Amino acid sequence: MRPLNSILSRVVVLHIVAVAITSLAMCIALSWLLNRATDNIHDEAMRKQATAIASHLRMGADGKPALQLPPDLQGIYSQPYNRYLYAVVDENGTVLFSSQANHAPVFSDWAKTDLSLDEARRGDATISGVSLRKNLDGKDFWIQTGENLSNRDALTDDITRGFFREVGWITVPILLILLVIDIAIFRRALRPLRHASLVAQNIGPTRTDVRLPADNMPLEIKPLMMAVNRALDRLDEGFRVQREFAADAAHELRTPLTVIRTRLDLVGNQELVASLRRDLDSISHLVNQLLEFAEVETAEISPDEIADLREICENVAAFVAPLAISQRKTVALTGGEEPVLVFGNREMIRRAVLNLANNAVEYTAEGTTVEFLIQRDGTLGIKDAGSGISPDERELIFQRFWRRDRKRSGSTGLGLSIVRRIVDIHDASIRIEDNPTGGTTFTVAFRAYLDGTL
Amino acid sequence: MRLLVIEDNDELAGLLAQGLRTAGYESDRFSSVEDARIALSTVSYAALILDLGLPDGDGLDVLRELRRRSDSIPVILLTARGGLDDRVSGLKLGADDYLVKPFALEELLARIEAQLRRPGQLLGASLKVANLSFDTRERRCLIDDTPQPLSVRETTVLEHLMRSKGRVVSKRQLEDSIFGLSEDVGSNAIEVYVHRLRKQLSEKGSKAQIHTIRGVGYLISEDQ
Repeated sequence: MRPLNSILSRVVVLHIVAVAITSLAMCIALSWLLNRATDNIHDEAMRKQATAIASHLRMGADGKPALQLPPDLQGIYSQPYNRYLYAVVDENGTVLFSSQANHAPVFSDWAKTDLSLDEARRGDATISGVSLRKNLDGKDFWIQTGENLSNRDALTDDITRGFFREVGWITVPILLILLVIDIAIFRRALRPLRHASLVAQNIGPTRTDVRLPADNMPLEIKPLMMAVNRALDRLDEGFRVQREFAADAAHELRTPLTVIRTRLDLVGNQELVASLRRDLDSISHLVNQLLEFAEVETAEISPDEIADLREICENVAAFVAPLAISQRKTVALTGGEEPVLVFGNREMIRRAVLNLANNAVEYTAEGTTVEFLIQRDGTLGIKDAGSGISPDERELIFQRFWRRDRKRSGSTGLGLSIVRRIVDIHDASIRIEDNPTGGTTFTVAFRAYLDGTL
Repeated sequence: MRLLVIEDNDELAGLLAQGLRTAGYESDRFSSVEDARIALSTVSYAALILDLGLPDGDGLDVLRELRRRSDSIPVILLTARGGLDDRVSGLKLGADDYLVKPFALEELLARIEAQLRRPGQLLGASLKVANLSFDTRERRCLIDDTPQPLSVRETTVLEHLMRSKGRVVSKRQLEDSIFGLSEDVGSNAIEVYVHRLRKQLSEKGSKAQIHTIRGVGYLISEDQ
């Protein structure tokens, strides 16, 4: 099977691609959200620190601001820790208080608003924090708090890594489960379509009564199914008309022929009557063959019909034997007495065998035997001892109205085309071979029904 | 002997009646399902010749009704259709024989004759093939009117073949006719009886010949 030939496999492949892209996008989005969340936490912490420091900044009695930090706050800003920084600056940028030994501001350039988010580079490190305005006796001071991000990154990395180890992995199985569920959904959605395909497989040249189930079809497919069904309806109707025509024609032709025939029979056995009767017989034969031909052209067989080839051959052999005997010929059947079951319609197979047998009896030489050779695999050989058929005639003989000898009466040229048609609708094969001892063998291979039990 | 002919083509019905009269049968003819019903319920016929396509219905309906009433009157169907299913359904419904149009009058007469003398029918008759004849009442075989001494089983085989003159009788049918179901039949028993029969008939100058249709059965016909 070629890949991606079924709708389901296409959907699955596309779905896997979609899942992969979604997973990647989700990871990127999640890590961005995580970073933003940590940033928010950081900004909030800085603001709180600045507010806390601001609450300890007062105007001293000397008219200068004084900062009295409690010990727990002082600990946060201790030099060895070197993570958080603070400074208090006035509007000229003069540093009044600083947690750093060099008495530097945290941000030398800040927005000078009520509250601003600021960032500064210091060596390799990035300092990020806030500047908070506080007004003491009409003068503006800014309390700057900052955090060394090279320290914070380690923590964030921990969280991010921890997130993927402890939480993020869950997305993979969830997406996989989703994939499985989706496959199940698709299979379910495609079920009516698959069913319709199976039904459609049964539509062959010999079945026109099959219709596709349009009832449970998805809206997208329903018009297609209904269009196919309408086409089948029209085909069926065409077949029906032809069948009815053949039946009507049969009645309209055969009854007057019977009238003529009976009238002749009542006249008696004069020479003229006998020759008229022979003419009538050949017209009757032609009419019969034509009607038979029309009938098998539109015949249908259901795929589960089974017939006993051995029984059919016995019936046909018994049927043609009197004619053969009257012409100083005979028939014989070989191949055991067990039933030989094949797929097909008994009456149609009988017609094919009868046509072959009639031909064989007609062409076999006087004093010889037409043999029916039945094999257990559903193959039937009909062997005559006639003059044989040349290789270039072997295809021609199956064409309708082809006759080797146009002067020969009794031959319509339809018998073998009827045989060919019956062979075709039975999915069987036919071949013609020379016998080593002269004459011809027609071999028809039907599909054997191997189960053997009825 | 009165026969009933149901055929909607007047011309054909008339000709058939004429042909039957020549062969010694009286007949009534009607052309519809309705008339057939009335005729069958009022007169006792020896056999029914029934066309399938009738103007007011299907001849098979008449047949179906007859068999439902357990009426065993021999029925020979005439059909113009000769369709794949027709003959099968006709025989399934209990027809005794059928003829596809067009048929020879001689063929119809032969079929009627076969039906009227079939086992179960009261009529006894003399069966003839060339100079060989068989008296079904006395169960005797005659060649040129000289009675022939035959064993019981040889007689049974010959009777069977002669009842089906011109048609093949299968080996199994012959076995069934001379052996009970429980008896173990030797595989070549029938061949032995046929061989003996053949020998005796030819020695006594019979012009009838028993042909072997290998793998199928036997057939008796006039010597060619």
